[in-house]
This record gives sequence, structure tokens and C-alpha cells, in this order.
Amino acid sequence: MTLTYQIAMGALALAPALALIARAPALRRIAALCSAVGCVLLVIVGLDAALGGAEPVVNLGGWLGFGHSALHADGLAGIFLALTGLTGGAVAFAYAELPPGRWLTALGATLLLFVAVAIGSDNAFLFLLAWETITVCVYLIASAGRSAQDLLAGYLTGGLAKIGGAALLAAFALLYAHTHSFSLAVWTHATLPAGTRGVVFALFLACFATKVGVIPLQGGLPAGYGSAPRLGAASLSVALCAGFYGLWRFEFGVLGPLPTWCGDALLVLGAITALLGIAYALTQDNLRRFLGYSTVEHAGVALVGFAVALLGHAAHMPTLAAAGLLAATLHVCAHNLSKTLALIGIDRVEQATHERTIDPLGGLSRVLPASAVALGVSSLTLAAIPPLGGFVSEWFTFEALLQGFRMPTLLSRLLCALAAAGLALTAGLGLLAFAKYYGFIFLGRARERLGAVAEPSRWPAGTVVLGAIVLFLGAAAPWEIHVLGSGLEGMLGFDAASSALSHPLVLGPVFKEFAVLAPTWLAIVLPAYALIAFAIALAANGRRGVRRAPVWITGSGAELSAVQYRPSAYSNPMRVILRGPLGYRTRLVRIAGENAAGESAAPQFKLETSVVLAVDRFMYAPAAALALKIAGYLRASQSGRLSAYLLYMLVALIVALSLVPILS
Amino acid sequence: MLEWIQRGLSQGRITTRYPRAGQAALADIATTGPTRAFLAPGARPLATRAGGLRRSIHVRHIDCGSDGSEEWEIQALWNPFYDIQRLGFFLTNAPRHADVLLVTGPVTAPMRGPLQRTWTVMPEPKALIAVGDEACSEGLCRADALTAGGVEAVMAVDVYVPGSPPPPIAILNGLLLAAGLPVPGQDGDGTAGTAGDSSARKASYGSTRTASDGSRGEAGDGVEGQEAA
Amino acid sequence: MSVVQQPARATTGYPPERLGAIPEPAPAGEVRLRVGALALASSARAMHEAGARFVTVFLADTPERSLIAAFALRGELILLRVPASGDAVCESIGAWWPAARWAERELAELHGIQFSGEDRYAARLTAPDPDSVERQVSGLDVFSIPYGPVRSGIFEAIQFHIETGGEDVPRIHTRPFFKRRGMEDRFVGLGPEAGVRVAERVAGIASCAYAACFAQAVERAVGVQAPRRAERWRAVYCELERMACHLDVIAKQAETTALYVGQARFQILKEQVMRLRSRLTGSRFARGMIVAGGVRGEGTMDLDELLAALDRIERDLRRDRRMFLGTASMTDRLIGSGRLPRALVEEYGAVGPLARGSGLSTDARHERPYGNYTRLGLRVVSERDTDAMARVRVRFGELSESLRILRQTVDHLRRRDGELRTELPAAGEGAACGWVEAPQGELVMWVELREGLLRRVNIASPSLRNWALFDHAFPKDVLTDFAFIEHSFGLTPAGADR
Repeated sequence: MTLTYQIAMGALALAPALALIARAPALRRIAALCSAVGCVLLVIVGLDAALGGAEPVVNLGGWLGFGHSALHADGLAGIFLALTGLTGGAVAFAYAELPPGRWLTALGATLLLFVAVAIGSDNAFLFLLAWETITVCVYLIASAGRSAQDLLAGYLTGGLAKIGGAALLAAFALLYAHTHSFSLAVWTHATLPAGTRGVVFALFLACFATKVGVIPLQGGLPAGYGSAPRLGAASLSVALCAGFYGLWRFEFGVLGPLPTWCGDALLVLGAITALLGIAYALTQDNLRRFLGYSTVEHAGVALVGFAVALLGHAAHMPTLAAAGLLAATLHVCAHNLSKTLALIGIDRVEQATHERTIDPLGGLSRVLPASAVALGVSSLTLAAIPPLGGFVSEWFTFEALLQGFRMPTLLSRLLCALAAAGLALTAGLGLLAFAKYYGFIFLGRARERLGAVAEPSRWPAGTVVLGAIVLFLGAAAPWEIHVLGSGLEGMLGFDAASSALSHPLVLGPVFKEFAVLAPTWLAIVLPAYALIAFAIALAANGRRGVRRAPVWITGSGAELSAVQYRPSAYSNPMRVILRGPLGYRTRLVRIAGENAAGESAAPQFKLETSVVLAVDRFMYAPAAALALKIAGYLRASQSGRLSAYLLYMLVALIVALSLVPILS
Repeated sequence: MLEWIQRGLSQGRITTRYPRAGQAALADIATTGPTRAFLAPGARPLATRAGGLRRSIHVRHIDCGSDGSEEWEIQALWNPFYDIQRLGFFLTNAPRHADVLLVTGPVTAPMRGPLQRTWTVMPEPKALIAVGDEACSEGLCRADALTAGGVEAVMAVDVYVPGSPPPPIAILNGLLLAAGLPVPGQDGDGTAGTAGDSSARKASYGSTRTASDGSRGEAGDGVEGQEAA
Repeated sequence: MSVVQQPARATTGYPPERLGAIPEPAPAGEVRLRVGALALASSARAMHEAGARFVTVFLADTPERSLIAAFALRGELILLRVPASGDAVCESIGAWWPAARWAERELAELHGIQFSGEDRYAARLTAPDPDSVERQVSGLDVFSIPYGPVRSGIFEAIQFHIETGGEDVPRIHTRPFFKRRGMEDRFVGLGPEAGVRVAERVAGIASCAYAACFAQAVERAVGVQAPRRAERWRAVYCELERMACHLDVIAKQAETTALYVGQARFQILKEQVMRLRSRLTGSRFARGMIVAGGVRGEGTMDLDELLAALDRIERDLRRDRRMFLGTASMTDRLIGSGRLPRALVEEYGAVGPLARGSGLSTDARHERPYGNYTRLGLRVVSERDTDAMARVRVRFGELSESLRILRQTVDHLRRRDGELRTELPAAGEGAACGWVEAPQGELVMWVELREGLLRRVNIASPSLRNWALFDHAFPKDVLTDFAFIEHSFGLTPAGADR
């Protein structure tokens, strides 16, 4: 397995180099395929490591200068390596199908390489190096757009990621100060005072929150997804694996049992993130920003499960911790796979229609069947519809929350109940959001403004494979839990799968006999019911035949596409209900060109609606204004005059000279 | 809510009893005019076309230019006095779920398209009932650029319910004919006595119209003036 | 029979000389002034300033082909007549007075009379295309729902284009005239006897009102007065009809708010009124009783029985009214929806319970008393809240008032005796207006007779005049309030479209 690991990382490292020198699309395709091969090998390595095989190690020696560093795939890393391989491989296949520009292919491959490096690294500095490279790639991908709005979005993404990097550096510095080592193994076994644990917890949370999208640092996700060109958004979604891995490894594995307030705070934060994420998603018209906010919502749900794990760990109840961690990991797997599938599918839609918003689209399921199926499967998963994977993970999360009565403190129990209520509301809103999203892109009639639409390419291999995986994720849940349980054994201390699988195909939250779910049977029985009903209908009515009649519009013969619901109008009632949190306002404005009578042939009005995204308005805008102001002041110091720079050098020399006697 | 229930219980049953097959027609104190409905020659009631459609018939109404009184009489069928839901007639809002279409009014020009659309969208088997004098034939509104002069100018009618407006009992008899259920007081299937050509039907409509719109005595008055002018 | 015509006299508020108008002989209650084509607009402005209500503008043939604009001012109907000889084009009144817009469009589309300064409309008001969709509002959320002409439930045909953003309603476009049968032309060449039959079928649910209006117009045109007993019977039929219409509106209002027990109770009351009319006249709509010159005969019911039946209805009505107004779940949905401010209602010249629910007290029985109402004291029911609940309250008030009038009139009928009918002259000639307060509002008809046959009939239906207001009845309401507001208007498309 070590050899396979080495070959995988080598292939992943070769791909960006190939992409950079490639001028012809064919060579870029080869680079992407190289990346894909690396990902496939990574999947094999990861599954093997997770299932308890010998842990492969790729030694990197001491060239980093902060101790010995290596790529070490233990159980947890194995899970996330497999996840990265699956999502990254699908993205790489998508790159190979329709290669974008040279730089984007290179950046995507680089991002993939360093996500794999981050997941496997056992040295903190290597992790930091990989993390910063990911940040650079994310910033470059996100600001590759042309319009001013896209550039601003890129700045926001990059800025938030940089804040995360700074927090990570501070956390590592604190840990180094206590242990004088950068090795993760040393940190795992070190004992830290509770106060330091709390501070480091918050710093780690700040860093990984920017990557996975936890309020209030979630801005990078919708902004980055919206402004990235083409498949850049799909590449950005692969970076989610690194973010969640960081949370699992550092907050749960390295820091060990945290004070109870950490878990409580994370519960509250997760629930708020989930609710606000989906509420903002309902206001989005841009195809990819919607998916960005959906990622924020699902990150919140995963965080809720993770918080239960932290609370269980803090209370020294490994079963409770296992329940929470298993639920969160299941959710991360289901979400990452389906979100990448959705982004790949939406890229095909954008390529075919050249539209980036949902309003002009409609009825595309006939002309873009591959995208329709891909987005259909991922929408069903993200909306938690049985018997797919999203439903299984959501069920596990609810069951983990229902274990709240086992928690030691009253506050934790209350917060668990509230979080469960919040999650239920989120699930309902999520269903509404994805029904709108999928329905208005693929179902119904095409709108007038849409021109001719054709499939962009003929062999969506990556989409098909990933789609099949996502489709059967629910039915294959027992085997998935085997893998996850075995991979998490290192962190939990026991194999959760043995408790979760009371019967080969029946699942339960790790507490035996608390509740049962059999998604494999559901996946067989539900379609079977549909087929039986269809067969009965066919037998009974087969001889009568079917007559199609036009859609009924109360007797009017108007063209259907002119009187259909618009996507924003569909989610309008929910926005009206949430008008408080969303700050929803409407205004009817008269447009010039209408006479005083108000009823002539063509007076025009415009209905303007506005929504206030609280985090953007009250956090990012003031912070950006402050940063620009400070930058304005600092710019004054860059006057360009040689004399000023000489002065700066003189001052720096004097300071350095005066520091030497102080420090020695 | 309790008050409403007490009110209803204190009033007692006001719904007219429906006669069993073979009994005399309903003694309806609501009108003194005739209450016949007529099956068009060659029309087959729904029950002969679909065996299951006897006790659950969904009715849809379309107004093609009536004067408004036929709508009141059709609405009256679902009030507590007549309550034809107990006979299996239900009102539906969607023509896709309808078995019977009640058409009122001579078909005005803008309503031609909607009428045909409504009929097309209804699934088989279906029946069309023309309710009211203006829908059954030319009379007050003869065929010109504004009106078609009756539904039969636009599409084939299964049952005619003349009257200006026909009382609710007549419309009920029309529904029963269309469904193929026995109509109390009407023998056979209710076809007009003479052979089924339209002029003879008009002649019989002339007599029923005079009596049913309540003008007492002066049978030849005004009505003939209209037809002559 | 004496001719009732009198020379026109200048009434308070405006001198005809100031308008440049020449008075013409007119029957009592009407003031006819002849103005030139160029002076019509300024005369209309003077009317507006004097506080008149615009009724209608129509074509007439007596004494010559002319355009007549009718206004209601302080108890008189003022007709400004513009002879249509020559090519002088009148300036449009509808450009600044909303009440005149639809009447002018109808004239332009049906008779080719163009007004200068009028807007050019792409869509024809009187010949709507069911397949077209009107869009005036742009925006990401907004789309247009064509609701009608085949609506859910048993309703008459009319179409609305509702522009909605999903929940709120920025604009509504009402499109009547799906049921245009050209009834006004079907009168031509008939005698008054047959004409009454046609008048009854213009708007079937207000048959008595239309028949009474037609009969009054014919009587005033030929200079004949119906006997008092006939006028009393006419009042009985019209008030029974008003009760049936108001009960129908209240029952529909209960249905839209999903109070089905309330709907059933008011349907029972309405059916009781219909059956009462059937026992009284032989027709559920009291058709065939009103003729030009009087009524056809006495009712076929004993008057004591009639009073007893009215008492029963009043008892039931009182109880049901108390329960209806006490059901908060229903009244909550009516209160505050469909507000029509008083100024808007006045600008559009609205009439009927709609206007009286916004604080006005326009009632033809009160402004220009006719028939039996010249001898009765009438209480005009008016509310100030301007919303749908106020209109429902107005209807309840009018139900009580109708019962009171009925009791009083039947009492008079019981005590006295008299003729039922005045003979019309064989070859009557003349032209006059008739007016009644139909259940929907004030109805005005213009009738011209020559040699005993009808030559021209014009109907200013209250439903058409009130429908023009519907587009403005949604200031802050949402899509789901549509049914409440529509039924609170209580109008009939058959009367509007004719």
C-alpha cells in the first residue's frame, strides 16, 4: 500500500506540472487524467487504511526544517483520503471531459494535491504549508472572474481564508509553546491546561470555519462558488474535505476531551449556521451561490453532530461520542459527494445554456439528461429524501441529538432539544429550496429567452460514476458504516460499526436498540411499490390508452411559459414569512414612459425586492471598510520616494540592533 | 361553532326527500313550471358508456354568456334544500376531474375558445348538458357575430334543460338523464315526443318556455313577437 | 294623461349659461342641456367641480343623433347633449376623470366615436382575447396569472390578469366583456311588452330592477304614470330581489372564508326568499310581473301569509346575522382587506353597497326617489371603514331595511285597493331616462320610442361602473385575499357586459 500511496501522490504532483506546460487541450486532458488516476489510487489507499490495513507512510524527511515529516494515512485520514479521491477524481474526470484553460486546470490539480497532502500530513508545519497553498489556490480560483463583483468575491474569499490561516498559525504557535514539537503524535498525547484548550479550540474553529462555511465566517463559500469560473467551484468543494478533516483531527483527535462549553457553543453555532444558510439560499438567484449557501447549511448540520461527539468525549462517554461522530462523518461523506456532483452537473448546464442564474432556465431535462440525472440525485440527497444517503445521515444526526438526555448538564440537554427543532425546520426549508432549484431548471417548459441548448460533451464518465455512488449511498449505508467505524476506531477507542449494525442490513445509532433504520430494504421496497402500482395501472388501463390535453389555465389559451411561476416567486411566500431575519422589503416603482392616466397601453412598473444578509451587512461590510481605510493610510507610506525607503531601512536596522542586547 | 350546530339541529331537516324509483315526481313547491329535461337523439347516457359511473359524477360548469340566473339555479342544487351530493353529484373545480359539463348561455365569441378547451381537457366518458333557453337554442339571442345562438352550434349536446331559467329540479333531472339514472316522473329516457329534428324541438321549447318563465296566460304575446322580428 | 314634461329650470350651483348650454325640455328629475362639441369637456369640468357623479356617456337618436353625457348632481340627472352633426371631435373626459374611461372606450370601440386626447389602447376592452396576457410590472419575482374566464366554482365568466410576485399583488387587470351579447341592440323594433321581457334577461339576478327601470323609462318617455298600487307591488318585488342578492353575496363571502355552516345558513335564507317569490309570482326570480305601465297582476299569495313568511325570514336572519358577525375566524379575514378610500370611490363614480361601504350615501332611492320610494322614508345604510367587512355590514343593514320597507308596503297593499296598470298610448313617442337602485347599485336606462316601438335603449349598469374600481382594491392585500374582495364587490358580469 505504501507504494500505491507514493504513486498516487506522485501522479497528483505530476498533474499540475503537466497542465502548466500544456498548450493544447489534449495535453490538458492528459494532465487531468493523470490527476484522476492519482485520485483512484488514493481511494484504494484510503479504503485500505480505513479498514484497518497497515498504515502506509510516505517519508518526506526533514527538509521542512521543523522535525521529521511524513504523509501518514491512519484510519481517520484514510476515510478522508478516500472521500477526497472520490470527489477529486470525479472533478478530474470532468476536467478531462471539457478542459478549461491552462491555469485553471493547473490550479485545480494543485488544490487536489495539497488537499491530499494536508489530510495525510503528520507534521503540523507540513499541514500549515499545505493549508496555505490551498488558500492561495482558492483565492486564485475565486478571483479568476472578469466582473467587479467577481473580483470582490475573490477578495472576500481570499481574505477570509487568510484570517483562517492566521488563526491556524496562532493555534500551532500556542501548541508548540507547550510541547516544543510540531509532530501531531506528540500533540495528541500532550496534556494542556483547560484554558489553553479552550483558546486553541476557538482558533482551530475559526480556521476551519472559513473553509467549511460556518457563520460568521462563511462568506468565502457562496462568494467563491459564485465567482469561480466553470469547474473551479467543483474544485473548491473538494477543499471541504480538508476542512472537515482538520476539524475532526485537531478538535477531536489532538485536543482530546474539551470543556463542556465548547460542545455547547458548537451546538448553537451549528444550528444557527444551518438555519441561516438555508434561509439565505432561498434568496439566491445565482446557480452556484445557491449551492454555496447549501454547503453552509450542511456544514451546520455536520457541526451539530460533531458537537454531540465533543460533548460525549468531554463526559467520557465513548458511545455518545461515537454516535455523534458517526453521524457527522456520514453527513460529511453524503454531502461532499452530492455537492461535488451537483457542481459538476451545474457546470454542464452553464456550458450548455451560458446562463448563470436560474430565472431564464426551464425544461432542460430533455436536452440535458446527464445533468438532469446528476442534479436530481444530488438534490434528493441534499434535501434528505429517503432512501438516499442524505436521509440516512440526517436520521443519524437526529438520533444523536435525541441522545441528549444522556448528557450530564442541563444546558446541554436543552441545547440538544433546541438544535433538533432547528434542524427539523432546516430540513423543511431545504426541501423547498431544492424543489425550487431542481424544478425550475429541469422541469416545466423552457422560457422564451433560452436559445438552442445542446449537451456539451458526450462521455460524462466522472458524473456517471459519482452519480451511481451517490444514488446507492443510502442502500450501501451498512458497508459505509463498516468503513467509517473501522476508520474512526483510532479516535473513539472502539469500532462503532459493531454497535451500529445490530443486524447486517439494519442500522441504529451506536446505542443498541434505541432506534432502527434499514435503508437497504427501503431502497428495494420503495421502488418496488412504485413498480407494482405502475404495473397495476398498466394492467387496468392499458387497453384504454392515454390522451394528452394541453395544460389547463382556467380557460385561457395563453402560452404556458408566459404564465408559469417564476423561481423567485415560488420561494417568495417563505421569504415573506422570514421577512424579519432576512430583512425582506419590496417597492413598486414607476418607470418613465407612462402618462398621467396610469392606464395606457404601456405604462411600466418595476417591483424591486431587497434582502439583507445580516452577516454580510453587519460584519463583512464594516470590516472591509475598516481594512480599506487602514490600507489607505498605509498606502501613504508607500510614497515611492527613495529617501523614505532609506529611512525605513535605517529605522529597521536601529530596531534590530537594539533588540540584540535585549534578547541575549 | 357550537352555536351553529345547535342552530342547525333546532331547525330540523329541511332537505327535500328524494323519491325512490317508480314513485311520482318530486312535489317541488319552488316552481309551478314544467321541469322536464330532454335527451338529445343519439346521445348515450354516461352509465351506458362507463358502468361504474352511477353514483359518483363530477360536475363542472362553464358560463358562455348567460344572464346570471342559471348560475344561481345551478348553485342552488348544492344548498341544504336540494343537496344533490347525497345522490352522488359532486362539484369539481378542475375540468380534468369532471364527467359532466353544464353549459349556460348562447356561446359568445370570446367564450368559444374556452368552451372548446374545457371540453377537450375533460376525460372520456363525458356528457354535455345545455342549461337554459339561451343555451338550448336560438331565441332571445339569435346567431350573429356576437353569439353563436346556442351550444349546439358549437358542439354536440347530450341533454337539453330548457327554461328561463330552469328551476333546480329541472337541472337535476338533466343531470340524472345524462348519468343514465331513472328520472322520477319522466317516462323512458325523456326524449321529446316528436322525432328528433331541431325545428320540432324548437316548437316544443316554445311551449315550455312560455310556461316556465312565468308569464301567465298570454301565450302568444311577446314570444312570437321576438321570433317574428 | 297629462304630459309630465316641464321646461328645464336652472338648479342650484351652476347656471347653464355659464356652461354655454341651452336648456331643453325634460321630464321631472332630468335636466337636459345642449352643449357644443368643443364645450363638452369644460362643461364636464364644471360638473366635476360642482361635485357631480359621472354616470355614463352614450349615443342617442332623439331628437337627432347625438352624444349624451349623464351626471348625477344633487337629486337630478343632468344630461349634456352634444349633437353629432359635423366632424367636431369632443375632448376626452376620461383622460382626467377615471369614471368616464370605460364608457368612452366602449363608445370608441363599438360605435367609432373617437375622443381627442384619449389614450390609445392596444387591447380592445369590449372584445377581449382570452389567450393574451397583460404584463405591466417587470421584476425578478413578478409573473402574470390569467384567472378566468372559466373560474373554479359556479361563477359567471370574467377574466382577471393578476400580476403577482408570489404573495403580494402589485397590479390587477380586470377584463370584462366576455359575455357581451349585444342586449342593447336586441330591443330595437320591439314593443314595450316584449321589451320588458328582454330587459329582464339582461342581468338575470336583478330582473325586477332592470324591468322596473325599463318600465319607468318607457312611462316617462310617453308621459304616463303607473298607478300607486302598481308602484307598491314593484317595490315589493324589487326589495325581495335585493334581499336575495345580498343573501347570495353573504353566503359566497362565508364560503370563501371556509365557514361552510354560515354558507349553508345563508343559502337556506336565500332559497326561502326564492321560494317565497315563486309562491308569490310563479317565478323564482319574479319575472313576468312588471310591465310598462304597471304590473301584470296581484301576487298569488295571501298578503297575511306573505307577512308571516317575512316575519319568519327576519327571525332567522337576525339569528344568523348575529352568529355570522360573531365568528371571529371569518371576520378577521374580512377586516382590513380590500380597502377602497372614499376619494377613490368618488373619483370612479362608484355606486351601490360598494360606495356605501366607503362612507358615501349614494342611493338612487334616496337621491332621486321613484315609484313607491317617493312616499316612504328610507334609511340609507352607510359604513365608514372602506374594507370588505364594511361592505358586508352595509348589506346586512340593507337586508333589515328591505324587510322594513316590505312590511310597510305590504301593509299598504292590504289596506287599500287600486288599479294595477295604466294603458300606454298606442303609438307612443319620446325619449327619457329611468333609474332604479338595483342590488348592485344605481341603474340608469335611456329609452327612445317611436310609433310605439323601441328605437334605442342604453343601459348604464352599476356592475360595469364598479368593476373599474377593482384594479385599485388591492393596496396591501395578498393573493389569497382575492376571493374575499371579489365577492365583497358583489357585481354581476352579465349586467356589466350586456
